[in-house]
Amino acid sequence: MTAMTADRSPMAGMKVYNLKLGMWVFLLSEVMFFTGLIGSYIILRFAHPESFGAPGDVLNVPLTAFNTFVLICSSVTMVKAFAAIEQGDQRGLQKWLLATILLGAFFVGVQAVEYTLLSREGFVPMAESYHAIARGAAEGSAVIGGPLYGATFYTMTGFHGAHVSIGVLCLCFTLWRARKGAYTAGSLGGVEIMGLYWHFVDLVWILLFTIVYLI
Amino acid sequence: MSTTEQEIGGAIVAGGQHDHHEIPWIRRYVFATDHKMIAKQFMFMSLFFLLVGGTLAGMMRWQLGFPSQPMPGGGILPDAMMAPTPAGAIMLPEFYNSLVTMHGTIMIFFAIMPLLVGLFGNLLIPLQIGAEDMAFPRLNMASFWLAVPAGMLMLASFAVEGGAAGAGWTSYAPLSTSGEWTGVYLGQQLWLVSLTILGFSSLVGAVNYITTVINMRAPGMTWFRIPLGTWSLFVTAVLVLLAIPILAGALIMLLFDQTIGTGFFRPEVGGEPLLWQHLFWFFGHPEVYILILPAMGITSEVLSNRARKPIFGYHSMVLALISIGFLGWIVWGHHMFQSGMNPLLGTSFMISTMAIAVPSAIKTFNWLGTLWKADIHFDVPMLHALSFVSMFIIGGLSGIFMASTPVDIYIHDTYFIVAHLHYVLFGGSLFAIFAGITFWFPKMFGRMMNEPLGKVHFFLTFIFYNLVFFPMHNLGLQGMMRRIYDFTQYEFLQPLQPMNEFISQFAFALIATQMLFVINFFWSIFKGEKASDNPWNSNTLEWTVPSPPPHGNFAQMPMVFRGPYEYNSPESDYDFLPQTTPPREGPGPSSGVPEPRPTPEGAEA
Amino acid sequence: MVTGEEHKAPPYMTVFVVLAVLTVLEVLFAFTSLPKFWLAVGLILMAIWKALMVALYYMHLRFEPKRLWILAASPIPLATILVVVVIKEIF
Repeated sequence: MTAMTADRSPMAGMKVYNLKLGMWVFLLSEVMFFTGLIGSYIILRFAHPESFGAPGDVLNVPLTAFNTFVLICSSVTMVKAFAAIEQGDQRGLQKWLLATILLGAFFVGVQAVEYTLLSREGFVPMAESYHAIARGAAEGSAVIGGPLYGATFYTMTGFHGAHVSIGVLCLCFTLWRARKGAYTAGSLGGVEIMGLYWHFVDLVWILLFTIVYLI
Repeated sequence: MSTTEQEIGGAIVAGGQHDHHEIPWIRRYVFATDHKMIAKQFMFMSLFFLLVGGTLAGMMRWQLGFPSQPMPGGGILPDAMMAPTPAGAIMLPEFYNSLVTMHGTIMIFFAIMPLLVGLFGNLLIPLQIGAEDMAFPRLNMASFWLAVPAGMLMLASFAVEGGAAGAGWTSYAPLSTSGEWTGVYLGQQLWLVSLTILGFSSLVGAVNYITTVINMRAPGMTWFRIPLGTWSLFVTAVLVLLAIPILAGALIMLLFDQTIGTGFFRPEVGGEPLLWQHLFWFFGHPEVYILILPAMGITSEVLSNRARKPIFGYHSMVLALISIGFLGWIVWGHHMFQSGMNPLLGTSFMISTMAIAVPSAIKTFNWLGTLWKADIHFDVPMLHALSFVSMFIIGGLSGIFMASTPVDIYIHDTYFIVAHLHYVLFGGSLFAIFAGITFWFPKMFGRMMNEPLGKVHFFLTFIFYNLVFFPMHNLGLQGMMRRIYDFTQYEFLQPLQPMNEFISQFAFALIATQMLFVINFFWSIFKGEKASDNPWNSNTLEWTVPSPPPHGNFAQMPMVFRGPYEYNSPESDYDFLPQTTPPREGPGPSSGVPEPRPTPEGAEA
Repeated sequence: MVTGEEHKAPPYMTVFVVLAVLTVLEVLFAFTSLPKFWLAVGLILMAIWKALMVALYYMHLRFEPKRLWILAASPIPLATILVVVVIKEIF
């Protein structure tokens, strides 16, 4: 640190510490990234409505609704982890971080299962091999939607899932650091920015789930 | 790091010498976290790519000036690029398309952007706001080391089967979705991957810059005391932050179209090629402001200092920067006037595009106002900065023509556009880069660049550059289209052949002239005249520390008392008044530590 | 200093309940037989409400300086412009 005399401190700026500001700024770019993907989906859907299916026809809404609930729970556990370290509760921090990791990993697992089931029914991203039929319909039933449906679905949810997976890895890192005593009530920036990222990923899913599965 | 204070103390005592770190060579020069070293890394990388991009242009100009004639030295290139004939190697059309694509891509993403944003962003921001480094030094290191593999992939794409990307730097679908028409397969994918990685590099850089400028300004450095160099980089960083992710999404979707077989942009399976254009240009237009705003900031710094006069209308300069950044988001459709868009939308884009000329014009008038009745020192940085202003005016004026939708019907995709873009990117950005490098060279290396050689480089470059690009306005108006391997196949264009040859000759001269800059640059690093802390008698904070500055920049946190452009102020005995000099009347700041008064170096010529 | 800000503990569990309830409502609402347009409007509104809850309470935005609100909201106009303009283009 540069030597500072007592009354020489930087300008107030955003009035939040650097790590937090940096994470918020980064999340703005993530908003734009998902805007590109989800926005493209919305645009393509307006342009070619016949290429997309009605809610529940192809996609498994109940399973994904449950998964949405799982992710929301993981946000709660994350927030509880943060609340714990605000009180200096190291055990609590580690416990709730672990819970968040497990819930996050579970979410990704369910998505992987979902992808497998969907692709077996012919709902794939590749244009040439797309032949999605209604859920539970017999072989040889009419194809629902078109290749754009598969392409946009897997790209949007896939990148979201990738963000969740990266989040889970970062959470593991955060937990590892927590176990080494890196965080205290006076120094919890690392946990707070981890939380910001995680809640953001949850927020994106809230919008994604509605737009892709329910509309 | 408790050793930092020692190091800084040592540096101050040593008076501008490099401080003696115990950190290993590899952490200091390779995996550096010091913003000044990272700035230099970006500079060396980008100057290399600038030369690569220039070489590609040279080859293009050979084909245009001497169509389908054997190219000197072409024999060393593989058969996929140059067809071997008894008379010599003749360029193949597919290779020409790759040259067009890669020249644009490399110049924009690997030369101009990293020079303006990577070099000047890193060099100027912490120093000008009085910070010891960026907010996230290790993230800064990651930013550079992401750009390197991106560049390597881009270069490697020349060597793969099918060659480098050949669908234009704009990579429009459906030409780019499959290699069927360009003959390029892997090369196109490498292009996409390379740019995605580079985008990420730029993005983390932007996070750093924004956080640093907001949160790490020295006491007294209010928003309206920040120098225009930093202001322009701040607005640019916001544009990078919000525009690059859109490009990333588009690149990913195109990559999926090419590799997995999705159909985002493929009309044959229900995709929408126009979506690519919208996504690309939604990014692409803010991108061109990313390529010009820092150049404007640099120009303001150099003009004001070398004219020994405050920048005319500093507040409006800041507001103009912000307006350009703002309006830049709603003009993207002007790149798509001929795409068959809804005419009503075309009209609204026309209006917003013409509106954006206003803040640019305000800036131009302010630069002229700065020069009016000023004590102008015509040294090398000033010459380049003056060149920026005049060439940018030409580029901006041709832009007005293009902004008008009916006029654009005739000039879209012609050499009129090529003239415009080179007037703003070369005449504008590159001259500003030359100005900036020459101006801040002493701060980076502790030595001055050679002035006479710099002047020769400037004059030759300026003359050759205008001879190359001004005639292109004419070529375009006469109907010569862009991205064409052999325009002489059209009878009505054959009379344009002599002009093309003329342009090519001077293009070769222009490229060769840049060697003078390269020689000057490297010679001066080792043998240039030693520079003091403040060789230009400037006001901004970077000139209050040694050349080059020690790690941590400032021995103690600076106090800022005024704006950056107090030249010829009645409050000073000299013709400049640094931002950190305490005011004369009354006691100094509450800390009671006075700043040393700078002594002007040399005579005021 | 990277301490937590001084304020009463936000109503985390209340927000959780609101989120869970809204999710259930959304799913039920999606399968009613309203015209497509009104379905979309209702679902978007519910989704935005949930997203705001997460942003304001879990991401602490409610307790942060107002300047951060402006920063956080800045991409929204851009996102809107992109989608709306391109849809109008194609529609």
